[in-house]
Amino acid sequence: MRTWFIILTVFFIVAQPGAPFRAAAQQPAIPPAPGGRSSASIFKEVAEQVGLKFQHYNGMTGKFYLPEITGSGAALFDFDNDGDLDVFVVQGNVLEPNTQASSTLFPWRGSESPRGRLFRNDLVIAKDGSRTLHFTDVTEKSGIAASAYGMGVAVGDINNDGWPDLYLTNLGHNQMYLNKGDGTFVDVTQKTGTDDPRWSTSASFIDYDRDGWLDLMVLNYADFSVTNSPTCYAATTAKDYCTPRVFKAPGNRLFHNKGDGTFEDVTVSAGVDKDFGHGLGVVTADFDGDGWPDMYIANDGDPNQLWINQKNGTFKNEALLAGAAVNRDGQAEAGMGVDAGDFDGNGTEDIFVTHLMDQTNTLYTNLGKGLFEDRTREAGLGMPGTRFTGFGTLFFDYDNDGWLDLLVANGAVQLLPGLVRKGDPYPLAQPNQIFHNDGQSKFVEVSDQAGAAFQLLEISRGAACGDIDNDGDTDVLITNNNGPVRLFLNQVGNRNHWLGLRLIGKDRGRDMLGAQVEIVIAKNKTLWRRARTDGSYLSANDPRVLVGLGSATHVEAVLVHWPDGAVDEWQDLRIDQYSTLKEGTGSRRK
Amino acid sequence: MALEGRAQDAAQTKEVLPPPKTGLVTLHWPDLMKLEAEVREQLMSLQAGLTATVKDPKATTATLSEAYGTMGEIYQAYSLNSPARECYFNAGFLTPQDFRWVYLLGTLDQQEDLADDAIRRYRIAGTLRPEYVAVPVNLGNIYLQLNRLEDAKENFKAALAIDEGSAAALYGLGQVALSQRSYAEAVNYFDQALAVIPGANRIHYSLALAYRGLGDAEKATAHLAQQGTVGVRVNDPLVDGLQELIKGERIHLIRGKLALESRRYAEAAVEFRKAIAANRDSLPAHVNLGAVLIQTGDSKGAAEQFEAALRLDSQNTNAHYNLAFLLANENEHGLAILHLQSVLSVDPNDLSARTFLAQELLKSKRLEEALAEFSRVVKADPDNEDALLEQVKLLEQKRQYKQALDSVEKGHAQYPQKGRTAATLAYLLAASPQYDLRAGARALELAQLIYKATGSLEHGAIVTMALAELGRCTEAAEWQRRLIATAERERKTDLVTKLNTDLKRYERGKPCRPAGDPGAQANAN
Repeated sequence: MRTWFIILTVFFIVAQPGAPFRAAAQQPAIPPAPGGRSSASIFKEVAEQVGLKFQHYNGMTGKFYLPEITGSGAALFDFDNDGDLDVFVVQGNVLEPNTQASSTLFPWRGSESPRGRLFRNDLVIAKDGSRTLHFTDVTEKSGIAASAYGMGVAVGDINNDGWPDLYLTNLGHNQMYLNKGDGTFVDVTQKTGTDDPRWSTSASFIDYDRDGWLDLMVLNYADFSVTNSPTCYAATTAKDYCTPRVFKAPGNRLFHNKGDGTFEDVTVSAGVDKDFGHGLGVVTADFDGDGWPDMYIANDGDPNQLWINQKNGTFKNEALLAGAAVNRDGQAEAGMGVDAGDFDGNGTEDIFVTHLMDQTNTLYTNLGKGLFEDRTREAGLGMPGTRFTGFGTLFFDYDNDGWLDLLVANGAVQLLPGLVRKGDPYPLAQPNQIFHNDGQSKFVEVSDQAGAAFQLLEISRGAACGDIDNDGDTDVLITNNNGPVRLFLNQVGNRNHWLGLRLIGKDRGRDMLGAQVEIVIAKNKTLWRRARTDGSYLSANDPRVLVGLGSATHVEAVLVHWPDGAVDEWQDLRIDQYSTLKEGTGSRRK
Repeated sequence: MALEGRAQDAAQTKEVLPPPKTGLVTLHWPDLMKLEAEVREQLMSLQAGLTATVKDPKATTATLSEAYGTMGEIYQAYSLNSPARECYFNAGFLTPQDFRWVYLLGTLDQQEDLADDAIRRYRIAGTLRPEYVAVPVNLGNIYLQLNRLEDAKENFKAALAIDEGSAAALYGLGQVALSQRSYAEAVNYFDQALAVIPGANRIHYSLALAYRGLGDAEKATAHLAQQGTVGVRVNDPLVDGLQELIKGERIHLIRGKLALESRRYAEAAVEFRKAIAANRDSLPAHVNLGAVLIQTGDSKGAAEQFEAALRLDSQNTNAHYNLAFLLANENEHGLAILHLQSVLSVDPNDLSARTFLAQELLKSKRLEEALAEFSRVVKADPDNEDALLEQVKLLEQKRQYKQALDSVEKGHAQYPQKGRTAATLAYLLAASPQYDLRAGARALELAQLIYKATGSLEHGAIVTMALAELGRCTEAAEWQRRLIATAERERKTDLVTKLNTDLKRYERGKPCRPAGDPGAQANAN
């Protein structure tokens, strides 16, 4: 309970980065964004060009093991607190014992064994605003030994020291890496008690009891082992990948952060053991608008769960009655990735779940008080979603017009006949999709404007968003199974005005995940956003909030609803730059 | 146009059948190498027949069309859609008045989300056979997906004009109404659809949404409780007939598995029997049919299937496990044990089988062996609370009190949130038969926590035991009397008797601690 307040003058940290410029690398400069509109593509793919060289390895041997088509994810996070987003990419490994990575169907060519990799962002911004983006692989120095069969990654500061930590999910034991703040990480899995030896997928940091410490939800997918994996067939009678339903769902795990460097498994006492499916995607937000964070879990082939926070350390699954467990036809779909955002501007968190081809990707619009309605068709997302199998997905405003757009990273999970006929040895590749929000609760597919690389046929899985070059628009990182990581730099967003916010805690500057931001642009125009790293699929996003303002040149007020219920207000924040808003330093309202 | 795109895709394959006439497209043979042998033979034989017809200069247009169309149907039945499309295109080109080929092409378009092509072809098909109800229903569904609600409504109504009892059309109209938030109208249509097909329990979900929209939470909840996985589909003899063309076991296995997963057991049994008809040595078909028959209550039939499976593969763990399940239900514990041991000889890591084995050994009074098995389960899966508590119980029976306490202490340390483990620990700390293992203060603290959380009388009794162990006999008696009063109100007579027995000891005053095992004290000393 807060009993006092202080009103400070508006607190600014003007324009990133705070760290000194680094020497420019031998990379082409990215010119500042032009002022006027042109026919430029939305994105430019630059991963390899900027040193983000990563090839996913899935260890496949032709035996159609389910994990090989499932991974992996990536994280955008500022591990060295220098003001720009670094990248961690999750890696696979061999699946079968006594198998050499170099002798699998797609042999591993690296000089060292496959492992997850950390890339430091050495962004340099010149005085004229031009940017030189370059990444340096610092895995070795970081101390991160992610050599398990990796699936996903979650980011959160577990000890409130201001340095973001990493939780890695694996097929097998998970790993918690504590950021020491000196460029290195230490494995604290055992010490923190956060291991889960099963097949974990997405995870999310959430301060569900509002005690100021980030707790952790970990999803588990299927009780798979190479010895219990049956042979499965497609309708053609040819061998194919099994659905997860041939394996038991193991159940998820909720860890409570005790604030002393350890976590407690509260799965049972919190009630989240009562319902579960083959969990793949998780997103946390205040879905019923009561000020307490809830959790939404996308399950592959089973009804989804909407865990509503009961404000006493427990949750209740209210998905079915809320209208968010199954689609409008009453069918449980193959939930993969999930994201939440206020796409229709009514101040509530809507939910978007990606699915198998032949099923729609489903948009559950929030009617308020935690009730949802499947409005996929009405939003124009019916047909476009059924062509591909969606995984990573993001609500983000690519053109900064103030309306959240949608991205879907696609890649099939059962052999595509057209590619089989072409002799493709791994015939699952599909193009990604991006949809523009027209501000009238409808989406229009604009994938053909997203740039050539965006339409490559790849087996995409993870997707993470963030402003990687700190230029005021949202970039996207996409991971590909058995393929390279792709970095899509936004070319158009900062033609509109924007407001960048980093929301940090009052003590040592932890990113306040779950904080909601109310951006009052004008009397009748308010946007709601939230600070988060979760959502999508196996991936972690930029914790900063980047708000597209369209043509608005002024923001009347920004109200931050902190996770503990307190609210700070700032007025006259400068637009087109990042500001850091520290809890307790605005004009406190309650 | 869709066909051109598909043909381009297929152009990479080497095996083709050139067209005999202008206007027809080249047929690209699918790669059959990875298909089931019987299916491969069926397709190769039909392909040879088509080739002969195509090369026959005397073949009439009608014959040629029928040959292409029939080949297309077989391909579609096996989901080989790309060559099916080429076949239908040629058949339709040759006999454009034949409803079948343009309609089936439309179904492929719809399946592949080529909405415009599907609409165009269905419209043509509708002019050729206006009475075929699946045409307007399919059109309605496409328009619904495109959110063209008025077009959807028009087509569903057209379907009702053909067949007033079309549940698919009624359901579609309900969905249109739901989209328009005309909830009362939606309820009306869904109710009608449900009346036509009462088993289509997925309609209950739509009804729940409609009632929720009407603000009737009670009815919404009632319908949610009835919702299931069986939906509504249109009567479509042409597409349904494709299934009869299928040979081989795999396709039936797939369908059977899907039906089994959706708990449509009768349908699953039919599919698995078809799989066995196609291949009587089909191990998965026998095992899965057995599993289905268990669900339908046909234990004898199920056992026959598992035995057949074991004749094919004496090491099949699923067949052994399921047979053990059936035998255990008939109290044939000895035989069940043998099957479970067979499972574990193949897969020693099968914890379900090991737990089951331990339970069967227990029922057979083979306590030493049961203890060994429960201990193995606990070691491999410390999360298994049932196994842990059985292990503790058996250790207590063997008077290995220290080991029992150690085991439950370890389990509690790993999973402090598990209530039964915590209660067992509190009980042992309060009343272990071996006095020197007791720790009254800790027992009291733990028991009070548990009682506070559960309010259970049994847990309240552990509190009194802990008080008694601490020598706080008056308090223990007072607690016990309150528990007895509650137990009497709840008519728990057995518990009342037990609590009264202990009450007498508490009322006698010090020492009122729970009785121990004299032998254990001697051993401990």
